[in-house]
Amino acid sequence: MAHAELEAMAEKRPLSPHLTIYKLMLTMTMSMAHRISGVALYLGSAAMAIYLLALAFGPGAFAAFSWIANGFIGHVFMLLYSWALFHHLLGGVRHALWDRGLYMDPKGRELLAQATLGGGVALTLLTWVLTTLAG
Amino acid sequence: MTSRTQFLSGRTGRGAAYVADRSGAPHDKFMRLSACALGPLGLVVGWCLVSVSGKSYEAARAEIGRPLPALAMIAFIAIASMHMRLGAESIIMDYVHDEALKEKALLANKWASLAIAALWTLAILLIAAPK
Repeated sequence: MAHAELEAMAEKRPLSPHLTIYKLMLTMTMSMAHRISGVALYLGSAAMAIYLLALAFGPGAFAAFSWIANGFIGHVFMLLYSWALFHHLLGGVRHALWDRGLYMDPKGRELLAQATLGGGVALTLLTWVLTTLAG
Repeated sequence: MTSRTQFLSGRTGRGAAYVADRSGAPHDKFMRLSACALGPLGLVVGWCLVSVSGKSYEAARAEIGRPLPALAMIAFIAIASMHMRLGAESIIMDYVHDEALKEKALLANKWASLAIAALWTLAILLIAAPK
């Protein structure tokens, strides 16, 4: 059969159900959040590289960048970056537990999803409070 | 009678997800191994970056320039850049179906992740280098 015909047949094949079909649940939200926080960390690390380079190249370069890095935008960025980091980290711990066959029952899954969300927020707040206290 | 099969996780490298091109298991193993290192490193780096945020030029350099934070930051980005490259590869393969565009996206991803790691490492080396 010609390639075009096969393609046309493939187009007509039914698709497996995707995200939009299901009722939104916490477990699936946390699964999506793991991916989204991963992408956010990718982009955030690129921005962080620019900050570190400005810091490395001397006071002049830092002054040119610090008006944004040390301002409102910089603080919001750092808050979101640290949250994404801790959320993704705990998401990884959740996957490590599942790999070992733990917390796979309905209650366990729900508990881990809540722990990822709550733990990520808690770790972020804790880090900000403690670093502020430490000066 | 029970149809229950023994639990086999992705860690074992077996399962339907890995049959398609037989390249799933190395990816899977790398993501899990690197995650083991990135967990503790991520906590240290998260702490360092948050404590540096908003600080003056001298204070920020002194904070990051200390040996242990500098080493943790370099180790973190060296491992994280490969971890995020592979993660982004999965996302590209999931959502980009046009073959030509997919090739371009994968190539851009490769060089972007390498560039981030290189620039981040260069910056830390410059900051931590003794005067």
